Amino acid sequence: MITEQIYQDYLNFLLAGKRVECGRIVRHLLEQDVPIKALYTELFQKSLYAVGELWEHNRISVAREHLATSITEGLLHLVYPRLFEKVHYEQGKKVVISCAANEFHQIGGKMVADLFELNGWDARFLGANTPLDHMLEFIQEEKPDLVGLSLSVYFNLASLKAGIEAIRSSFANLDVFVGGQAFRWGGTDVLKHYPKTRYIPTLDQLESEISG
Amino acid sequence: MEDGRQDAVLADYIRHTAPVFYVQLAPDGRIMEASKYAESLVGRPLSSEYFQDLLVDFHSAVHLPSLFQETSQEHMLHIQTRSGLPQSLFFHFQSLGQTFLALGRLDAEELEGMRREVVSLNQELSNATRRLHKQKAQLERLNAEKNHFLGMAAHDLRKPIGLVLTYAELLLEECAGSMPSEHTGFLQTIHASSAFMKRIVDDFLDVSAIEAGKFDLDLQPAFVVDVLEQSLTLNRLQAQQKNIELQVQCEDKLPRVMMDASKIEQAITNLISNAVEHSPTDGRVGVSISCDEQFIIFSVRDSGPGIVVQEQERMFNPFEKTSVKKTGGEKSTGLGLLIARKIVEAHGGRIWIDSQTGEGACVAFSLPIKTE
Repeated sequence: MITEQIYQDYLNFLLAGKRVECGRIVRHLLEQDVPIKALYTELFQKSLYAVGELWEHNRISVAREHLATSITEGLLHLVYPRLFEKVHYEQGKKVVISCAANEFHQIGGKMVADLFELNGWDARFLGANTPLDHMLEFIQEEKPDLVGLSLSVYFNLASLKAGIEAIRSSFANLDVFVGGQAFRWGGTDVLKHYPKTRYIPTLDQLESEISG
Repeated sequence: MEDGRQDAVLADYIRHTAPVFYVQLAPDGRIMEASKYAESLVGRPLSSEYFQDLLVDFHSAVHLPSLFQETSQEHMLHIQTRSGLPQSLFFHFQSLGQTFLALGRLDAEELEGMRREVVSLNQELSNATRRLHKQKAQLERLNAEKNHFLGMAAHDLRKPIGLVLTYAELLLEECAGSMPSEHTGFLQTIHASSAFMKRIVDDFLDVSAIEAGKFDLDLQPAFVVDVLEQSLTLNRLQAQQKNIELQVQCEDKLPRVMMDASKIEQAITNLISNAVEHSPTDGRVGVSISCDEQFIIFSVRDSGPGIVVQEQERMFNPFEKTSVKKTGGEKSTGLGLLIARKIVEAHGGRIWIDSQTGEGACVAFSLPIKTE
C-alpha cells in the first residue's frame, strides 16, 4: 500500500532530484508486491502531476521538471521485469501509442502503453515527437486494433489534429483514442469532428474499456 | 533612475546574481575581483588566483596581453569547472586603465540545443530499454515453452526407449548363440542405438530441468574423492575399451564440501567420459583433485589433439559444432559439458578449459569449500 507518507517522501526526493532514494522507495514497494497500476497512478502519475503544477506556478524550473520526468522514466525500468513477466497477450490485440509531432512529453503515453500491456494487449510505443509519416508507416506495418495519441501541451493541438486527420484519411476504420494533460481544462470538443476518435480522460476509464 | 544608480544596480547584479563570468584582472592576469557565478562555476574563491590558471589551454594559445588588446571581439575560452568538466565561455575583455575586465557568457543557443538533445537521448534510451525488457520477457516465455515441450517429449520417449534397450539386452543374453551372427549384429546395433537414444533423452531431461529452474540441489557435506570413486567405476569400463590408462592423483586431507553428490558425480562422469572419448587408443587420461584455501579443484586432462582457444568457450554451448572430434568414433549428445557447467555453477563453482593445440585438453572445475 502506498501511504501518504511514502508518497510525500517520494515527492520530496523527486523534487530534490534524488534518483537513488526514489529508486529505493520503488524497489521497496515492488518487494511489498504493490500492484503495478497503483505504482503508476498513486506514485508516478500523482507525483508528476504535482511537479507539473509546481512548474506551472513558477515554483520549480523547467530543468527540475525535466529531471523529475527523467527520474520517473528511469524508475519505470524497475517495474518492467515484473510488468512484462506477467503479460500473456491473452487479448490478442495490438495498440500503437504515439505522441504528436513536436510533443516532447512522452511519459504519459508510455504509462498508457504499459497499462495496455498489463491488460493483455501488445502495446507498441513510438515515443515523443513522432514524425507523422513515421507514425503512418508504423501503423501500416503493425496493423493495430487501436491507436492512442498523447498530448501533454495544448499548444501542440495543431500537430495532434494533423495526426488524427492523416490516420482518418489512411485508415478510415481504425479506432483512435486521445488522452493527456493538454485536455485537463477542456478543449476536447475539437475531437468530435473526427469519426471513431474518442477522448479518454483517465487511466481508470481506459482500463475499464480495454480490460477483457 | 539616475544613470549612476542604474550602473550600480547592474554592476551589483552582475557581481552577485547573473550567470556572468566577471573578473577584474591585474595586467599579469591576477584576479582582483570575481563575480559569484565565476566562483561558483570554478568552485572556490578566486581572488589572488591567476586567470590563465583557470583555463584549459591545450596549445598555450592564450596570450593575455593580446587578449587585452583585442577588445572589439569575443574569445571562446574553456574554464576548468568544479565538476571536472571544462565549460566553454565567450569572453569580452575591456581595459580600465591599470586593470582589465573579463566578462564571459555561456552560449544560450548551444545550451538549449544540448538540453533538447539530452532529453531526446534519454527518452530514446528509455524507450529502447522498454523494448528490450519486453523482448526479453517474450524470449523467456518462448524458452520456457520450448523447455516444457522438450521435457514432455523426452519424458514420453524415455519409457519406450527403455523397453527397446531392455529387450535388446535380454535377446542378446538369451538368444545370441542361437541366431545367425548377422542377426546378432542387428541386435547389437539396436542395443547400442537405443542406449545412445536413452542418453540423449536423459540429457534433454536434465537440460530441460536446469533451464526451467527445476534444479534442486540436495546439499550435504561430502568428499569429492568419494564421489570420484563412484564415477570411476563407470568410466574405467569405457577407458578399458580403448585401452586408456586412467591416472588419478588426489591431495591428502582434502576437506569435505557441501554438494549434491549425485549431481557432482554426473558432472565428473561427463568430464572423464569426454576425456576418454577425445584421447587416442592406448592413450592416457589424468584426473586430479587439489585444493587451496577457498576451493576444491577437480581437473581431467586428456591426451587428445587439444582445443583451440577460440573454440574453448563454445564447447559449453548445446549442440555446438567445433573442430574437436572423438578419436574412436563415439557418439555424444553435445550436452555433457553444458550440464556439467550448470551443475558446477549451481554449486557456486566455476568450470573452465585449459588447452593448447596438440597438447591435450584440461577441463577443470572449482567448488567452494563450505561445510554449512
